[in-house]
Amino acid sequence: MATDTEQRSDHDLMLAVRHGELDALGELFERHHSRLFGFLAQLTGQPAVAEDLAQTVFQRMLKYRHTYRDDGRFTAWMYHLARRCAADHFRKTGAAPRATDPGVLDELADESPHAGHQAASRDDRALLQTALNQLDRDDREVLLLSRFEELSFAEIAHLLECSVGAAKVRAHRALGELRTVYFQLLKSR
Amino acid sequence: MNCETAAALLPELIDARTDAAAHVEVRQHLAHCPHCQREFSDLRRTLAALEEAAPLPSSALRRNFYAMLEEEKHSAASAAVARPRSIFSSRWGWLLAPALAAITLLAGFQLGARFGTTPPATAPVVTDDATRRELAALRQQVGQMSQLVGYSLLQQQQGPANERLREVLVAAQAEKPGAKILDELIVALAFDPSANIRLRALEALYAHSDNAAVRAGVVAALPREQNPLVQLELIDFVATAREREAAPLLERMSREDSLDQSVRAAARRALAQL
Repeated sequence: MATDTEQRSDHDLMLAVRHGELDALGELFERHHSRLFGFLAQLTGQPAVAEDLAQTVFQRMLKYRHTYRDDGRFTAWMYHLARRCAADHFRKTGAAPRATDPGVLDELADESPHAGHQAASRDDRALLQTALNQLDRDDREVLLLSRFEELSFAEIAHLLECSVGAAKVRAHRALGELRTVYFQLLKSR
Repeated sequence: MNCETAAALLPELIDARTDAAAHVEVRQHLAHCPHCQREFSDLRRTLAALEEAAPLPSSALRRNFYAMLEEEKHSAASAAVARPRSIFSSRWGWLLAPALAAITLLAGFQLGARFGTTPPATAPVVTDDATRRELAALRQQVGQMSQLVGYSLLQQQQGPANERLREVLVAAQAEKPGAKILDELIVALAFDPSANIRLRALEALYAHSDNAAVRAGVVAALPREQNPLVQLELIDFVATAREREAAPLLERMSREDSLDQSVRAAARRALAQL
């Protein structure tokens, strides 16, 4: 069974979910939940909210499984749902992302074998999130989407409803802005 | 090429999706310009920091996801039983439904004509093969309808998952729960179709692990359980409660190939603890 699912692509697994094999979503969860959570946590600046949103994304995958298309790309669809969930959250709360308190990052379970080493860079992580929060929400979003190299710029452009060229320019400009803010914060520390 | 033009294109050079042969002029400029090299290095450091800053989710996300999946699977199964696919929902349903109604009506008339004069107190003796087949088919249909109605009634008795969850939570909040409440929690743990509710029931029972009846209930629920997450929590319970009665069962589970690998490993660890 395990080897069977390992050989199936994300697309095949999602088609199986669409046809009623709901267990296939478990494999998709295992493959993508960390990245999805990372995207939402950095977009909202609130890890606890990001966990709820990530759960909602997978709930919507089940709810809207019949809308997944034969020619679809799973990751593009997943980030499409994630953006919608995040947009709903921002609309409801009217919230701008908050500067991340390093204590919040401490609360997250870090089960990796390099947890000790990562603890040393915890302040840097909080600093980067603070820099990220200072970007315009759209810039932050395009930057985080472009960080996932499994998404092509054509897919990012489709998600953002703009041209491929515009998506590239926006992502690269956002990276430049993040660099400026991040280094300013590093110097003022 | 000047630094200003090069700087605008540096993020594109960092992007792994950019063709290695693209922007030759920028690459040449970068090879000889210390200012742009610093700029390039800062961008790489920012990107690396962005990667490292992505936090990891807590284990609650996985737990909640699988509970939600179990819930959805249960709902899907219930819906499939409650609404069996009917030929009337097909494309030709609009034509088949009145046709079948007409055939049923005719069959009714025929049966009526055949047995209408028979005294009602005595059952008709059916000798005709065709009639016997028709009656058998009708009885089968009635039987299927009874099953369906019975199942629906059972579902109504059980109530929706959130109501059952509320009942479990109310039971769990009782300061000094009596045997009846503990029984309800044990029954929910063993029989509730929702993994989420079974987990909440088990959580509530943790406070009463010194009660022999509770421990026996948890051990009894273990072989029935199919969900790996709940299996792991049940194993954790019997290990924490040092319930030695569970040892033979854990021994079997540790060798059962059909179980999830993590469940087998947990059973082995629990055995070592007992």
